Amino acid sequence: MTHALEIRNLVKTFGGLVATDDLSFDIKTGQSVGLIGPNGAGKTTVFSQIMGELRQTSGKISLYGKNLGTLPTAERIRRGVSRTYQIPRPFLELSVLENIRVGFMPNSIWSMITKGPDKDREIQLALDVGFSQGDFDKPASDLSMGDLRKLELARTIATGAKVLLLDEVFAGLTTGEISQISGLIQDLRAKGFTMLMVSHDLPALEPLVDHVIAIERGRMIATGTFNEVINDETVRASYLGEV
Amino acid sequence: MGLRWFHFAAWGLFALGLALLPELVSKGTLRTLIFANYLAIFAISWDLLSGRTGYISFGHPFLIGIGAYTSAILTKRFGVEVEIAIPIAVIVTMIAGLIVLLPALRIRGSYFALVTLAFMELMYQLVQVIRPDLTGGTRGMSGIQTLTRGAVNGFYLSSVLMFVIAVAAWLLLRTRIGTALTALGLNESAVEGSGLSTTKLKMFAFMASAFVAGLGGAFYVHYLGSIAPRALFDINFVFTIIVAVLIGGASTIIGPIIGAFFLTFLLEYLRPFLPGAERYFIYGGIALLLYMYQPKGIYAMLMKAWHSLHERAAK
Repeated sequence: MTHALEIRNLVKTFGGLVATDDLSFDIKTGQSVGLIGPNGAGKTTVFSQIMGELRQTSGKISLYGKNLGTLPTAERIRRGVSRTYQIPRPFLELSVLENIRVGFMPNSIWSMITKGPDKDREIQLALDVGFSQGDFDKPASDLSMGDLRKLELARTIATGAKVLLLDEVFAGLTTGEISQISGLIQDLRAKGFTMLMVSHDLPALEPLVDHVIAIERGRMIATGTFNEVINDETVRASYLGEV
Repeated sequence: MGLRWFHFAAWGLFALGLALLPELVSKGTLRTLIFANYLAIFAISWDLLSGRTGYISFGHPFLIGIGAYTSAILTKRFGVEVEIAIPIAVIVTMIAGLIVLLPALRIRGSYFALVTLAFMELMYQLVQVIRPDLTGGTRGMSGIQTLTRGAVNGFYLSSVLMFVIAVAAWLLLRTRIGTALTALGLNESAVEGSGLSTTKLKMFAFMASAFVAGLGGAFYVHYLGSIAPRALFDINFVFTIIVAVLIGGASTIIGPIIGAFFLTFLLEYLRPFLPGAERYFIYGGIALLLYMYQPKGIYAMLMKAWHSLHERAAK
């Protein structure tokens, strides 16, 4: 199995603060990995560096064996890695289908003008993530938090990326919504998507991951299966507050 | 694109209305309508850039002025045919649009607005001091070749120009580029996070806006037959363009046309009662009230009325 994502000796400092401290890990194609750690451990900072939203101080990030170097975010997405955010970033005045349309758009002005939207694909994806027909024309500003997360996931999938970084996908959701999103992620796994997931909701995360990486203050403190990591003494001490 | 028969019917009716106006109104009103047409063109140009992308330009006369001055200088000083001068003026304005784009790659919001205002002021100073033999310096230029004679011809030319620009911009923004530009105005980082180059999108919006500004500026100067820097690079002119868009309804193309006509006639009909700058208080007040109660402008009000009428008819 080839590596979809390779992180080597990643370091990110903000002045005197070390946010990512010599972090290295690999994710195989089709693998689903959980990234856990207490608040401020630097999980989102890792995502931001993978996406090029933050430039690493040193270290290397490779996607399917190719160094991402200093590529801008949009180019990284076109190469196959995309992310969701802790706080969803919808286009509030656009409808559900229009939000998804932005994800499907080619990065060519000419194509945007000359080729119409592929409504069938938009509708299929909207249905796949759990929207009903009555939601299609709703503006994003009218959606619940659960629906906004589904919408963001749909737009992320629409970009065509096969490596998805999912940041706190269960935050602020009801039990029903968690189960819906969880089912959706299971479907993506079955379809062969590679995923790196951050979540504080460990019971929800457990069935979705093959492997877990725990970090604290930007440094890896444990890696292994969900149970191995969760029962690791260092993890329990730092993450769960137990000794 | 979602084009329906009533879209074409509405544009057709609008064109018919414009065509019939010279038969129905006085020459004085036609002259007012010519100014309304040009203001509509400038408002569409501003809307393409600022209404969609959220990059508020306070220096739009910079682009209009480049179009106007280029065509005026080429025809008057170098004897270039106007048919050649106008396309050159448009190209030069589009290149200038790239200059306005540069700050937009790094800043937005009030900072961008101030930089564009500085562009306009800079242009105002430059045309006065650099080669006044070409620009006419402080006094500007007169005796520039005009394209039409009489109010009726001037009205038809400005109407055709405004109509073609409006329909083209409206059609363009109904494609996916319109959705992408709206998304850019709503959340730029989310557009980047959808794999789209925001630089490319901004460049398109700026170039499209500059194209319309250059075309409008060039035709305008060949209608007026003269150009004066203080009248063109004037903050009141900027505000008139912006208020026309906001009153009519930003990001709609049709809204700026409604706003431009509304404002021009408002200012014109207030003239006998308030000959000075006091008129601007009135239109400022109307803009303020409208913005408080219907921030999406007259176009949204009309659409709302149309939909409720439609619903009532369906019942």
